[in-house]
Amino acid sequence: MRLELGIIKIKDVQFGDKTRVEDGTLVVNKKELIDLLLQDDRLAEADVELARPGEEVRIIPVKDVIEPRIKVNGTGELFPGVIGRMGTVGVGRTRVLRGAAVVTVGRIVGFQEGLIDMTGPGARYTPFSETNNVALIVQPVEGLAPYAHEEALRLAGLRSAAYLGNAGREVAPEEVEVYELTPVTDTTLPRVAYVYPLLSEGLLHDTYLYGVDVKNILPTIIHPNELMDGAITSGNCVSACDKHTTYHHTNNAVVRELYRRHGKDLNFIGVIITNLKVTLADKQRSSDYASKLAKLLGAEGVIITKEGFGNPDTDVMMLCKKIEDRGIRTVLIADEFAGRDGASQSLADTVPQADALVSVGNANEVVTLPPLKRIIGDLNPVESIAGGFDGCLAADGSVDIEIQAIIGATCQLGFGKLTAQGY
Amino acid sequence: MKEIDRAGLPVVHVAAIVPISLTVGANRIVPAVAIPHPLGNPALPKDEERQLRLNLVKKALQALQVEVEEQTVFEE
Repeated sequence: MRLELGIIKIKDVQFGDKTRVEDGTLVVNKKELIDLLLQDDRLAEADVELARPGEEVRIIPVKDVIEPRIKVNGTGELFPGVIGRMGTVGVGRTRVLRGAAVVTVGRIVGFQEGLIDMTGPGARYTPFSETNNVALIVQPVEGLAPYAHEEALRLAGLRSAAYLGNAGREVAPEEVEVYELTPVTDTTLPRVAYVYPLLSEGLLHDTYLYGVDVKNILPTIIHPNELMDGAITSGNCVSACDKHTTYHHTNNAVVRELYRRHGKDLNFIGVIITNLKVTLADKQRSSDYASKLAKLLGAEGVIITKEGFGNPDTDVMMLCKKIEDRGIRTVLIADEFAGRDGASQSLADTVPQADALVSVGNANEVVTLPPLKRIIGDLNPVESIAGGFDGCLAADGSVDIEIQAIIGATCQLGFGKLTAQGY
Repeated sequence: MKEIDRAGLPVVHVAAIVPISLTVGANRIVPAVAIPHPLGNPALPKDEERQLRLNLVKKALQALQVEVEEQTVFEE
């Protein structure tokens, strides 16, 4: 399977009369995009606003972030089984509007949504302060149930990403990223697999694989190219800092790094997807199954990432223990909820086998975000989203908040900006 | 939970994810149903769910009366 991502670099976004890419600027026909959104009769109102890097803009509450793309060659369409026709993705050519992002905003769906600051101290914590953002402010019809609201907002984001991605159909990419698991002849290189747990707890904490609710799968093997080409979409309202937006799924930093080193100092043998569910038996079953798949693949080393925090700590610790017990070394990537002073227990669960773990930061760390001139969405939910607290919003619009509330601040795929430094 | 135990009052932790309960140091643990509904199961008919809830509470009360020397999970 060979996937070529044709990267079209987007340096600006503007409204204009025809949606297109022109000299690195994504031009958006606002009315056409709003009309597209309002085709869903579950949505009462829709508006589109633009936010560029460095602008005095705060976007809140953010549900999902999606990279605009279009498949121009190969099987499947963008986000197959959700908005695209079914077909295995990960083969052929896809154009990517790198530097642009769709951001879904609107009346809050679940309490665990977050914010993006385009400048100031908050911007340092989120990768989406560096993208040219097309924010969809979408309000549901009165009385719409939360699940239908979530789905409507999710589809609005995905459809808009496909609509904007279509502007790249005829544009020559500036560079091409090639993803291909070429056979490795050097048998001394360690065989490394990636175990990718996806949040799937229900109650607005769900992820979709080819449109299938991941709650309903047993762990399975997937080609890394499928991930990089839109097989996984987020339907997730878990804490902003460590949920994987759809953007993260299509730009998985672990997959990218394993590919970069494939055939050089390791042999990347594949990805195992597993779920993160809400009963003990489910956690045991899925971790049993995923560890068995790792052994079947002949892995010698496994990287385990995490999504969310709290009870998913148990899932990844079970995975770690069971994979290690099969004689395979593991490394975990996880964030910490160690309290505002960093002195509390970082994870809800641990096992002795978890002796190699990369921390991506303490999500309870409090930062002060100064007022910004323009709010896209509504600042008022800031006190009730996870990471906010009563009184955290001052009269001048400044906010004291845990970085938990900032989109992607402690992303457990390593797609983030925090680094550790020894003193 | 641990402090109440230390003060001499028995405590039972009714929790869905037993490994977390073990990690945080609970001494008496009764496994519960699921994270979003530890003491019930909305998929069951009302009368069956009532019985399930009753059984869990009874089991917790029984566990309170058991002397334990180490962390103990009260399975079925």
